[in-house]
Amino acid sequence: MVGKLLIYTAFIASVISIIGFFLAHNGKENFLKMGRVFFHITSISIITAALYLLYNILTHNFQLSYVWEQSSTDLQLPLLISTFWAGQEGSFMLWALLTAVIGVFLLNYVSKGERMEPQVMVMFTLVLSFITLILILKSPFHYLWESFPKEVDYGFMPPEGRGLNPLLQNFWMAIHPPTLFIGFASLTVPFAFAMGALLKNDFDSWTSFSVPWILFAGGVLGLGIMMGGYWAYSILGWGGYWAWDPVENSSLIPWIINVASLHTIIAQRKTGGYKKTNLLLSILAFLLVLYSTFLTRSGILGDSSVHSFVDPGAEVYLALVVFISTFTLISLGMILVRWKSLKDIRIESSKLMTKESFLFIGALLLCASALVIFVGTSLPIVSQSKVDQTFYNNMNLPVAIFLMFTMGISLYIEWKETELSKFWKNMILPTAFSLITLVILITIGLRDPLYIVFAFVSLIAFFVNARFAIRIIKSGTMNFGGMFAHIGIALFFLGVIGSARYSQDVDLSLEEGKPQEAFGYQFTYVGANTFMDPNNKRDTMYAFNIKVEKENKEMTMRPVMFYSKFSQGVMKSPDIAYFSYKDLYISPMSLEESNPYPQESMYELKKGTKTKVNELEVEFVDFDFGNMQKGGKEMGSGNYTLGAIIKVTDGGVTETMNVRTKFVDGTPQPNPVMMESSKKYAFYFLNMSVRGEEEGGTTAVFSIMDASKSPQQQAGETLVVNAAIKPFISVLWTGIVILFAGFIVAIVRRRKELLVKHPEKHEEHSTGNGSKQKNKKK
Amino acid sequence: MTSKIKIIIASLIVVIFVVVGFYSFMDSKIEYASFKEAQKKMKMVEVKGVWQQNKETKYDADKGTFTFYMKDDDSTEMKVVLDGAKPNNFDIATMVVAKGKVKDDVFYAKEILTKCPSKYEGKGEDVMKSSNVN
Repeated sequence: MVGKLLIYTAFIASVISIIGFFLAHNGKENFLKMGRVFFHITSISIITAALYLLYNILTHNFQLSYVWEQSSTDLQLPLLISTFWAGQEGSFMLWALLTAVIGVFLLNYVSKGERMEPQVMVMFTLVLSFITLILILKSPFHYLWESFPKEVDYGFMPPEGRGLNPLLQNFWMAIHPPTLFIGFASLTVPFAFAMGALLKNDFDSWTSFSVPWILFAGGVLGLGIMMGGYWAYSILGWGGYWAWDPVENSSLIPWIINVASLHTIIAQRKTGGYKKTNLLLSILAFLLVLYSTFLTRSGILGDSSVHSFVDPGAEVYLALVVFISTFTLISLGMILVRWKSLKDIRIESSKLMTKESFLFIGALLLCASALVIFVGTSLPIVSQSKVDQTFYNNMNLPVAIFLMFTMGISLYIEWKETELSKFWKNMILPTAFSLITLVILITIGLRDPLYIVFAFVSLIAFFVNARFAIRIIKSGTMNFGGMFAHIGIALFFLGVIGSARYSQDVDLSLEEGKPQEAFGYQFTYVGANTFMDPNNKRDTMYAFNIKVEKENKEMTMRPVMFYSKFSQGVMKSPDIAYFSYKDLYISPMSLEESNPYPQESMYELKKGTKTKVNELEVEFVDFDFGNMQKGGKEMGSGNYTLGAIIKVTDGGVTETMNVRTKFVDGTPQPNPVMMESSKKYAFYFLNMSVRGEEEGGTTAVFSIMDASKSPQQQAGETLVVNAAIKPFISVLWTGIVILFAGFIVAIVRRRKELLVKHPEKHEEHSTGNGSKQKNKKK
Repeated sequence: MTSKIKIIIASLIVVIFVVVGFYSFMDSKIEYASFKEAQKKMKMVEVKGVWQQNKETKYDADKGTFTFYMKDDDSTEMKVVLDGAKPNNFDIATMVVAKGKVKDDVFYAKEILTKCPSKYEGKGEDVMKSSNVN
């Protein structure tokens, strides 16, 4: 009851807050306070509701359907907390919580000085209001007897919950979804600023307020996306870090647009251009977040993704559709309302060789990439088909090449006028470094022409940005965030070239104790260890020890498989050996029991019938039950000896043999029998079945094999693994870390702007690119 | 003048991009099909269906192929041979999506996607069941 009440309170308060801020926007200043107060009521209600849900999870109140469905008493604390967002209701709750918390900071930020408070807050609160509405429709506070009124009695408390899916039981589950959601929630802020600018009919000042938030959203969302990639690679054993899966794509698209908007906003703040572009991109990034939510929550992509979706029900589907269309319409409407003033913005035709043009080209390329991904991801919605991964790869490769090229040269392009002779002179050193590195890469195996070009432009981007970063760090200022981010992306792409294009993999069937060669390594499966699942102490896990040898070095790799009682199936986890320039990746595929009797040696004979086996003629005469009763107690126990009498004719000689087999716990341990006249074939009696005549009658199964080949009875089990070499993947992760470091540096540098009262006064002097230019002139 | 050249260059790039994109798009488009449709088409398609557990399911370690029988949504059953080992989570998959081509009444799959219920929808009976266990 408490939870639902809080959600309703939040919703009603948000509506009042919207009215307050809107009236304040219309000049009724005294309503501003009402907007603020009710916004705080909304936030506090949502935060309290979230804490209340957390409290119920921690105290194992299984009376709540959501808690019962997602968690159990045996989960360790971090995983128990992660059940908060393991299901749909909880993840909407988390989205609301994060948006509310960010809103508190935002209100604090915009209420200082002239920061378009009423306009920004009316839009932001509208978003929060919609999320709250979804929480009313899909509440995590349903009681079991409300969810299942027929089956469950009022007040019933199950002693145990259903527990968390083992796929989700790891560290990454605890941090990956919340990170993504912080990114999503913070993208609401640039949207609110852009919409606020339209409301206020002022297209200039919002950019300086918005930049720190764009940086924050970009950094956090980017981190969340990358975490997903690392999780898939290292734990889930998907073999790669990126599969162009719709769920991955849907969070990547808003990130790319956000990054594009960051670049054009920098240009606007310097030259005053791209006003319309910036409004559009900030709005678009948020609409794409809603689109992402729609794709991943509505169940519409059910067939085309490796991620699984639970059908949320018609009302949530509808709410999401209403959510996204409402905000699309509001955005379009606002643009139309301001069409006249937008049209009047004077476009100063700038020269091609200016920084402004290059920032725009960069943003344009990013948008092209986003468009490609958008089209590919959306295809399953509009037709009964989807695109292959090659589409994304083929289309993004040329875009990425141009992007790296732009990134490499644009730092030497000036804002006003670029002297070409100076430009070429500046490019000499980075180009030389890049060429040397490229030659090394070609020597170690880089081949495809297109990839050589890609590597070359990435290297130029790397060296140019590194040179600038070093210079700026030496000068003692903090303006190297952007360069760090660029270095990171360049390294990331170099890692992509190595790991995506030049990966090799092979399926290995490792018979126990028998070494096999691949990629110059020797792999030997040496048996398995068992251990208990550290997360729930319920499942027995198997670590399969594989001895990996190369020259004199030896190590043991341990991919894991186990049968999960929760999922009722086999779960697998890879093991990775990290080297400085490559990863050796072993994912377990299956464990095959050895079959000592090959399928082609098996013959099922009906009692009293003959068959030809090569040159032999074999007749199954009858069973020899010995002293045993047919179907009696002994047979029931599973331990008995049974014989089959066969008559074999080989080139005129006929012998009658009794092939006996000892059954231990129902498992046959056959003894071979050979003809006295010829020792060429060995006969094994493997199994019997006694059936009615209409079902095939009484039959016995024999294996008749070349006597020189003994059945591989001693053979152990066979472990099937996929072994892969992934070159330069460490470069990729390093790039990602540096990229993120770049975002942090930039955020820290801009933090001051969050604290200063009238930042726009300082802006003209402190923008990153202004200082960049100063440094260059040194 | 310069802005005119810029516009021409930009539109040229956009046109090339769109044309290349369109061809690449048509090329990599994979349709969902039933086994019957897959038999008619020579193109790579995706067929979704359910693994027939009672039929032969085996991994051939020598060839490195995984063979099983699958029934599609139209209840057509076909032998599927995957070039590779048994896919992840195959046993628990509620649905299997196979990407490949049909040749001689066998579906040769290049890739298999398994759809697992990340969470089974809770049912009322489950509530009572869990209480009986303890």
